[in-house]
Amino acid sequence: MELKLDSPAETKSENPLEFILTIEDLNKAFDGFQVIRDLNFYMDLGELRVIIGPNGAGKSTLLDLITGRTKPDKGTIEFGRGREHDLTKLREYEINRLGVGRKFQTPTVYSGHTVYDNLLLSLQGPRGVFYSLFYKESQEDKDRIHEVLETIRLEDRKYELAGSLSHGQKQWLEIGMLLAQNPKLLLVDEPAAGMTDEETERTGELLLSLEGKHSIVVIEHDMEFVRQIARKVTVLHQGSILREGKVDEVQSDPKVIEVYLGRKHARDAEGEEKPAEETQGIDLTKKEASPTKPA
Amino acid sequence: MNRGRENWQLIGIGIIFLVAVVLVPLLNGLAPEGSFLHISDFQMNTWGKYLAFAILAISLNLLWGYTGLLCLGQCLFFGLGAYAFGMYLMLMIGREGQYSGELPNFMVILGYHELPAHWKPFYSFWFATGAVFWVPGLLAFVFGFFVFRSRIRGVYFSIITQALTYAARLLFNRNEFTFGGTNGFTNYKSILGLPINGPIVEKGLFIGTSIALVLSLLFCWWLVRTKYGKVQRAIRDSENRVLFSGYSTTSYKLFIFVVAAMMAGVAGAFYVPQVGIINPEEVHPYRSLEVVVWVAVGGRGTLWGPVIGAVFVNWLKSWATYQFPEYWLIILGVLFVVTVLFLPGGIISLFPVLKPKVLNLYGWAKARILALRSASAT
Amino acid sequence: MSLLLSSSPAKWFKCLAVILTLWSVVSYQAGKAQEPGEGETRALLVEAILAEDDDQQIVLIQKLADTGDSLLETVFEQWKRGEVFVHTTEGGEKIPFTLENPESEAPSAAIKIIDAEPLTGADGGALSFVAKDLTAVDTSRSLRKEMKNAVDFLALSAKDPKVRAQAAKKLGLTQNASYIPVLERRLSVEKNKGVKENLREGLAVTYLAVGTKDQVIEATRTLAKVNSLAGLGFLKDVIRLQEEAPEDQRDEEILAAAKKAELSIENHFKVSEFFSTAFRGLSSGSVLLVVALGLAITFGLMGVINMAHGEMIAIGAYATYQTQVLFVHWFGDSGLGFQLYFIAAIPIAFLSAAIVGAILERGIIQFLYKRPLESLLATWGVSLVLQQSFRLIFGASNRQVNSPGWLMGNFDVNDVNMGFNRLFIIGFAIVIVFGTWVLMTKTPLGLCIRSVMQNPHMAACMGIRTAKVRMMTFAFGSGLAGLAGAFLSQIGNVGADMGQNYIVDSFMVVVAGGTGSLVGTVTSAFSIGVVDQVLQPFLGPVMGKIFVLFAIILFLQWRPEGLFPTKSRSLD
Repeated sequence: MELKLDSPAETKSENPLEFILTIEDLNKAFDGFQVIRDLNFYMDLGELRVIIGPNGAGKSTLLDLITGRTKPDKGTIEFGRGREHDLTKLREYEINRLGVGRKFQTPTVYSGHTVYDNLLLSLQGPRGVFYSLFYKESQEDKDRIHEVLETIRLEDRKYELAGSLSHGQKQWLEIGMLLAQNPKLLLVDEPAAGMTDEETERTGELLLSLEGKHSIVVIEHDMEFVRQIARKVTVLHQGSILREGKVDEVQSDPKVIEVYLGRKHARDAEGEEKPAEETQGIDLTKKEASPTKPA
Repeated sequence: MNRGRENWQLIGIGIIFLVAVVLVPLLNGLAPEGSFLHISDFQMNTWGKYLAFAILAISLNLLWGYTGLLCLGQCLFFGLGAYAFGMYLMLMIGREGQYSGELPNFMVILGYHELPAHWKPFYSFWFATGAVFWVPGLLAFVFGFFVFRSRIRGVYFSIITQALTYAARLLFNRNEFTFGGTNGFTNYKSILGLPINGPIVEKGLFIGTSIALVLSLLFCWWLVRTKYGKVQRAIRDSENRVLFSGYSTTSYKLFIFVVAAMMAGVAGAFYVPQVGIINPEEVHPYRSLEVVVWVAVGGRGTLWGPVIGAVFVNWLKSWATYQFPEYWLIILGVLFVVTVLFLPGGIISLFPVLKPKVLNLYGWAKARILALRSASAT
Repeated sequence: MSLLLSSSPAKWFKCLAVILTLWSVVSYQAGKAQEPGEGETRALLVEAILAEDDDQQIVLIQKLADTGDSLLETVFEQWKRGEVFVHTTEGGEKIPFTLENPESEAPSAAIKIIDAEPLTGADGGALSFVAKDLTAVDTSRSLRKEMKNAVDFLALSAKDPKVRAQAAKKLGLTQNASYIPVLERRLSVEKNKGVKENLREGLAVTYLAVGTKDQVIEATRTLAKVNSLAGLGFLKDVIRLQEEAPEDQRDEEILAAAKKAELSIENHFKVSEFFSTAFRGLSSGSVLLVVALGLAITFGLMGVINMAHGEMIAIGAYATYQTQVLFVHWFGDSGLGFQLYFIAAIPIAFLSAAIVGAILERGIIQFLYKRPLESLLATWGVSLVLQQSFRLIFGASNRQVNSPGWLMGNFDVNDVNMGFNRLFIIGFAIVIVFGTWVLMTKTPLGLCIRSVMQNPHMAACMGIRTAKVRMMTFAFGSGLAGLAGAFLSQIGNVGADMGQNYIVDSFMVVVAGGTGSLVGTVTSAFSIGVVDQVLQPFLGPVMGKIFVLFAIILFLQWRPEGLFPTKSRSLD
């Protein structure tokens, strides 16, 4: 099940039945500005993939397209083994019901509900109007919620309103809400934004522990965090994939450095071939590229 | 504490039931006239009207207070229920009308010789009663389906419901629409063979309105506690999150929209025979905004707020239009501005502030009584 | 910044005011045009009465008929009845006169025909006579016939070309062969192009009935050429007669010519009907646009649902009314002063609505920017208070505002009727849209406004006084509503709830156009206006309106964000 691959070329040659997400020839423009350009993206079942890229590279738009928030101009997004579902034809909630969960860049929780109810509403199960009218909380559901509460360490605040949590806690709650849904594919947009170093580290651990059980896409700017969790990194630039590979390989790629820091740095990097410095170089982007500030 | 409050709410509904369904009709029927316990027919009728408005306010609160859908067309559904029941009442006038003939007066004036086909089933009381539910429900379903599907939200939803109401009122004003044009329906004579101004019908209508109100309150009380109610409030707070959690917000909103429309229709059906007239002015966009005032003044998103607001504002209206007819609109407008600016939670949000004082009073009284007792014992 | 706000619209007003002043002065002068020639007519009359020779008299009468003076009708009538007399002075001068009351038995004052003054004797005292004692100026049969003709066709030679044209048409439509020579003679002397056309049309209609074959065919051509709507019915008669006639009596040439003319006229009216509809649509679209433009600023740009927008319109209208009252007080209810009141009313309407808007923004709306639904409710409360205040101040009944002369009237271009007020509103709409566009895109203030609306925090960080900019923007939007009110007062009554009739429409315009888009508002206002006018003939005004509302609701199904959505990638 866990296919560890080193380069995109090899990815494509594998048996396509094993891909959980297959994106081919994807294009999307806003007002004539090409946000996503001829994008091909393949993800294995159970894989943890990190997507990085400078501002405006199309990362969030890619998630919007996968979750049905916007519709592509051209191309296919297929989900599940054997490309069962064409996501471009479905509405947001239908995509979610197939098992695609998303955490937004700014934490979105139900601020008027308690932490417990937030999770209750996210719990896997039928979502129909009449089901919810006559829904009775089962012991199994309660256990599941408590399990998640423990994972996200909010057990002692379960009866507090979600609106009263700190920014980091809201991020965790939203991750918890994703877990409660038990999705096949998790799309996580900047989970570490606004978190303390310790919280960030634990977020990384959490994501790693999920690897294998779920397929996960993480969008992140914080390179330290990326190095902590990433097996394979995809670099997005101007709407297409610039490079795919292991963290170190990607970070030392002159093209990647160029798009992040401009030509001069790229040449320097090529000349000196000192990974440490390049790493540092990319790390600089963290400051300019994470607009989310703690609430 | 939560549990305690729930019990109090149920007890409150029980009290309303006892007072409105049992006590008031009893006092109206049995207490001798002139006694201070006596409730006159006029008073009962007026309160029957207030209670019908309270049901209407509850229906709007289900949409606005709990789901965040500010519907500016709730009076349209109210009017549809009222018109549906009014059609039955018009047909019951029969040969007692001004012109000898089976047709309602306005049709005689307009030169109809035969009852239009869509009027015929309304000879049946039960058909008309059913129509009170399904006519507003159907309109809400069709309109809501289109509006929610295309993600019309927030103020856009408000504006578009107002436009719908506006168009509907223009339509009801037309004579060709066969609903009496600007004059609407009036001069009813009987319900189920009983004279409409008779004591039985008057008490029956009041009791019916009260029961409908109690049922609406119970429904609201129950709904808020279900998972549906939680989703509903989640939609109010963050609709996109709900959507991305796999809920079809369209069907959730559609459901409550249809239910609220039916509830408003029922309020309209009880309103018509008690007030004795329904005309397109009741469907005026202005009227729907007035309902919003009731809910806002009482306290939206609460069980009791709409009831308190509807009764208070209408009582105030009755008083002010009599005392200061020229200034009533100014009073209403200022009341509304003040509520929105300084009391967004409505009257009901004052209660927690007042509660300790009331409890103090209770404690003080208890202490006094104990003191008196011990004094008398010694 | 504030200087710009006040100067930029002011500049526009100055420009507008100059144009309007010129216009009004010109039309005012035209209305007051002198009536020359009455003296001449009277002199000719005297000459005709005193002429010895019958033939000479006939020539003079024909000459008189050409003056078209309505005075002739009375004098000729008196002459025919024998009520015109001649007084010979001691010096031998002959003065024709009439009596004030010829029926009376008692002496009645004598009036000179030459100047309508009393006839005086040698001592300067006014003379009186009894009709019976006098000898009337005699008339011959041919003279009387000439006079009758002159009176009958007097209208043909009236001063006002409109009256002449109408008379020509009316005479022609009777299809009376005896009128032909008169019409032909008139045609030979007529100089006005429009009247000439009507004369030809009248002649052609007459020839259709009584002419020879060639004349009939020629007449069909003439009718087709002048696109005669009146002639269409007669052409149809000709066609029917020809078609019903037995085959041997039918004249195929006439039939073909008549059919050709019929087709040509019908086509012409289809085209002009199309343009009339387009014009009416354009002008009702302009009304919508003027009304909705303010809302496009306050709602579209600022996101404030101002339910009191209708009352801002009413403020503008009442301001116009009040200006009119003042102008009537100062200058009387006619004359140049009155004609100019509307020009003064425009800035007054703008300013009064803008001031109320600014107060509303400072007093209430500034606290509710984060709660759009609640600003809707609060402003509705304000709208109730304002409406009732209007009733208390100005009375519950509607107020009448009289349009200045230059806004009334209308003219035809190729059978497309254009009212001055409709033309004016189109121009007015163009001017204020252009002004708004310039203000928003070309001035520093516009830049401030746009930046505050997009990102108030960032704008505040850049040193923009966001509170002030918001207040000004809101005041500007309200002022535009006031302008709309000033105009609406010219096409309808001014009443406390006048704005209510427009509020739903204008919200629809803004929503359908896409909030925050000036282009969208303009496009949707004109589209709605035109669709409304196209539907009205079929559905009637109310059903047309209902249909348009439902069409907009359905349209939003297809494009929920309106015609020109403002794109945003934020979550909510």
